Amino acid sequence: MITKGSEQVKKVKKVFGLLTATAMIAAMVGCGGSGGNNSASPSATASSSAAPEKLKKISIFQSKVEIAEQLEALAKKYTEETGNEVEVWGAAGDGYATQLQAKLTANEGPSIFSVATGAEAEKFKSYYYDLSNEPYVKDIAPNMALTIDGKVVGVPYGVEGFGLVYNKSLVDPKDVTDLASFTKTLEKFKAEGKNGLSLSQEAYFLIGHIINTPFALQPDPQAFIEKLNKGEVKMADTKEFQEFAKFMEAIKANTKNPLEVKYDTQMGDFATGKTAMVHQGNWSYAMLKDYGDLGFEIGMMPFPLAGNNKLAVGVASNWVINGKAGPDEIKAASAFLNWLFTSETGKNAIVNEFKFIPAMVNIEAKDLDPLSQAVYEATKSGQTIPWALNYFPQGIIVNDLAPATQEFFLNKNMTGEQFLQKLDAAWAKAAKQ
Amino acid sequence: MNTKKDIGWYVLFTMPLIFIFTTVVIIPFIIGIGYSFVSWDGIPANPKVFVGFDNYVQLFQDERFLQSAWHTIQFTVLALIVVNLAGLLLALLVTNGLRVSNAARTMFFMPNLIGGLILGYIWQFIFTDAFNSVGEKTGLKSIFFNWLLDPQFALIAMVIVFAWQMAGYTMVIYIAGIQSIPDEMMEAAKVDGANLWHRLTKIVFPLLMPSFTICLFLTLSGAFKIFDVNLSLTKGGPNNATEMFAMNIYNEIFAYSHYGIGQAKAIVFFLIVAVLTLTQVIITKKREVQM
Amino acid sequence: MKRTGKWILEILLFVFALAFLSPVYIMVVNSFKNRAELYENTLALPSSLSFQYYAKAMEKMNFLTAFGNSLYVTVVSVIIVVILSSMTAWMLVRKDNKVSKAIFLTFVATMLIPFQTLMMPLMQVMDWIRTHLHIPMLNTHEGLIYMNVGFHASMAVFLYHGFIKSVPVALEEAATLDGCSKFGLFWRIVFPMLKTITVTIAILDVISMWNDYLLPSLTLSDKGLRTIPLSTFYFFGEFTIVWNLAMAGLTLAIVPVVIFYFFAQKYIIKGIAAGAVK
Repeated sequence: MITKGSEQVKKVKKVFGLLTATAMIAAMVGCGGSGGNNSASPSATASSSAAPEKLKKISIFQSKVEIAEQLEALAKKYTEETGNEVEVWGAAGDGYATQLQAKLTANEGPSIFSVATGAEAEKFKSYYYDLSNEPYVKDIAPNMALTIDGKVVGVPYGVEGFGLVYNKSLVDPKDVTDLASFTKTLEKFKAEGKNGLSLSQEAYFLIGHIINTPFALQPDPQAFIEKLNKGEVKMADTKEFQEFAKFMEAIKANTKNPLEVKYDTQMGDFATGKTAMVHQGNWSYAMLKDYGDLGFEIGMMPFPLAGNNKLAVGVASNWVINGKAGPDEIKAASAFLNWLFTSETGKNAIVNEFKFIPAMVNIEAKDLDPLSQAVYEATKSGQTIPWALNYFPQGIIVNDLAPATQEFFLNKNMTGEQFLQKLDAAWAKAAKQ
Repeated sequence: MNTKKDIGWYVLFTMPLIFIFTTVVIIPFIIGIGYSFVSWDGIPANPKVFVGFDNYVQLFQDERFLQSAWHTIQFTVLALIVVNLAGLLLALLVTNGLRVSNAARTMFFMPNLIGGLILGYIWQFIFTDAFNSVGEKTGLKSIFFNWLLDPQFALIAMVIVFAWQMAGYTMVIYIAGIQSIPDEMMEAAKVDGANLWHRLTKIVFPLLMPSFTICLFLTLSGAFKIFDVNLSLTKGGPNNATEMFAMNIYNEIFAYSHYGIGQAKAIVFFLIVAVLTLTQVIITKKREVQM
Repeated sequence: MKRTGKWILEILLFVFALAFLSPVYIMVVNSFKNRAELYENTLALPSSLSFQYYAKAMEKMNFLTAFGNSLYVTVVSVIIVVILSSMTAWMLVRKDNKVSKAIFLTFVATMLIPFQTLMMPLMQVMDWIRTHLHIPMLNTHEGLIYMNVGFHASMAVFLYHGFIKSVPVALEEAATLDGCSKFGLFWRIVFPMLKTITVTIAILDVISMWNDYLLPSLTLSDKGLRTIPLSTFYFFGEFTIVWNLAMAGLTLAIVPVVIFYFFAQKYIIKGIAAGAVK
């Protein structure tokens, strides 16, 4: 009992040591908190500060992980050149929109952020600052600016395009011009033990991009989508979609099940010559680059649905300024965008560091990779179809169209016609909500 | 006098935590209940329209939600059994006084250290690449194929991944429970000639009742809220066959921007599960042996 | 005879534990491969054992800063959780009235709420605290610690509650007669007896806080504040992952917790509560 007692005392000492430590930490939390307040909310102090040149520190939040580091480096250069500070935030690719929404909800929004064209841009529209009178807006290529209610609110990252990316040593574009030749080519590869065309399991690469073509070929895609939303038309009754279903049947019959293929394996199979064509965009070059010298040349051609001979080109993301920020912050944010799109350093970074195909008339594209080159040439010659998928109802590709397509590829007996009916049903459900 | 003082101590001991907990969990939850009665897209600047119980009415017509609730129940029941059997077994294995026990404990626990998202990606390799190649090499294609493409097997795949992760977690709690069983009791039982099975069923298991309660509940709440593994392993596919409840809500709130409906779903499911589990906790708690 | 049997058991257990770790194997081997090699065979051993991806991952993640941030947030949060939850749980057990029952059930019930449904209202509450009380809850480590404590309170109270019930009241009564205040009584007599469960809770909470991505991603914005999981975002694109860097970063992230667990588990030793009964 006595020994027990002394043990207890020792333990008690330990505990009290721990307690004091915690009390101190708790105190630190307290003061650390209020200390943070002074530095974290400079809005009160900044406006009264006397320095005339220095603009308020801004923050940038954007969705493209691939340019995160380059953007940080650019921000550093901006500070060197102008003395103004920029904080670059980061988010993993699929968490961006949620984090953005959370931060805006908490009034902790970034000064500049990115939004995807289409439903996402629509969702966050109450936050945009009107850029109509900003100087760099006039340099945006025609029809490329993000406009809401007639006002320019966003500047495009750049243009991107997709179509059939093909291995030039295996495929001649002349053999892929319509449904018949497309099917014949796939059959030929199947007989040779190669995969003629590969989609992959990710929703956009499975259905989102490839279904863009029949939409884009409508005389007025946006009006067509609206009618579809209202249930006035059906994909199953529309000519281009009927042919699209036949294309999908040919793909199902002659190629590897896309649900077995991930984007990584899709590009790996293509890079190693096991797959002849992939339905992909110019961004996929970043993956191919990792395989070193491929030993063959690559190109991009249109998806030959209903006589289509154009690549699908559009703007995926846009820079916008947070209109709910204070006037100082907006001013500083606009100054940064101006610097990005007009200074040599900024322009150079867009082309050579971000590797974007510029959507600004004052920025020259150069040294493009072969896929981007194809997209760029198509853009310059006007041989493009739009990204109708930007006008799809929110979330529909991932949550409604992809499951229907999975069913199509998993159910051996499902015909193209039934597939269209599934898509119509999925669409009706998503549009109703 | 004494009671006043007692109340003072009571408040002093419990208030700090209750205060923090209230601001972080309770108040947001109550705000959430409020949102379940409005039609709103989740953007603060946009209008919130009061719609009464409309959101609740709607969700019972949402087949996909009902399906996801059913998947979640199936998943939870399976996970509950597998995780706890595995966790208990592992705990018994590593409290046996073997030399490798310490190393083994750490190894069994390690899956827990890998966050849910990455875990899903890694297992994706196993269920697709590894299974396909094993199937081709052994000819057992009826067992080793891409599990993630079959609705039933994809659900089982999720149970396996979850169990693999949670077994180590529950193991830690079972170990703590086993360690608190006095040696003398076991020794006495041995002297009395009780065999291993008897020692387990007559001494260990009854004394482990608190650990059972805890582990069952932790597994249950973990399984019921599962999100990361769902997102990274199956994304709810194939054809929504493994879309769990949390993912369905997440999609409703963030993909479709139906904030009110998403909240209503969360509350309905919360109420159902809370009633079920609290009953479970109360029942198992009654069986606990007071030492 | 008995000895060989024991050795076989030892080996079996070890082999089983190794097999259990096979997915971790996939993580580690792929941290040494480039994209082409990974595509060739995910399961094979890497062709060369160069640590270049580790170096690169560390550099990109700003590893030392991130490590310091994670350490600070995790350690402080866990200490506070342990202190406040043990005190709360003890009171709830010892004053077993209706109020205590209601409080306890509330703690337990909230464990069933998916975090995804709380996050937006949580942001609003934190914003309210900041604008009205001028305490910066967002974009500070301390704010994150506060929220960590709130979210981990339920489980800790639940676990302590279960174990405190098995601690005999007799000892406490004796101490009360000796004139101990409640505070002294708790820290001198009760808390030391909770060592096993305290270590268990500390382990479980350290792991979940160390690995947490979602909550920190909502509350921390500035680069200098990022924890380890947040700083791996560079490797996770929308459609693809830079596998070697991601796996290397992940391996780096979990090594400290593995070490922590290895040492902490030794404190889950036999007979703490039992020893006190004697």
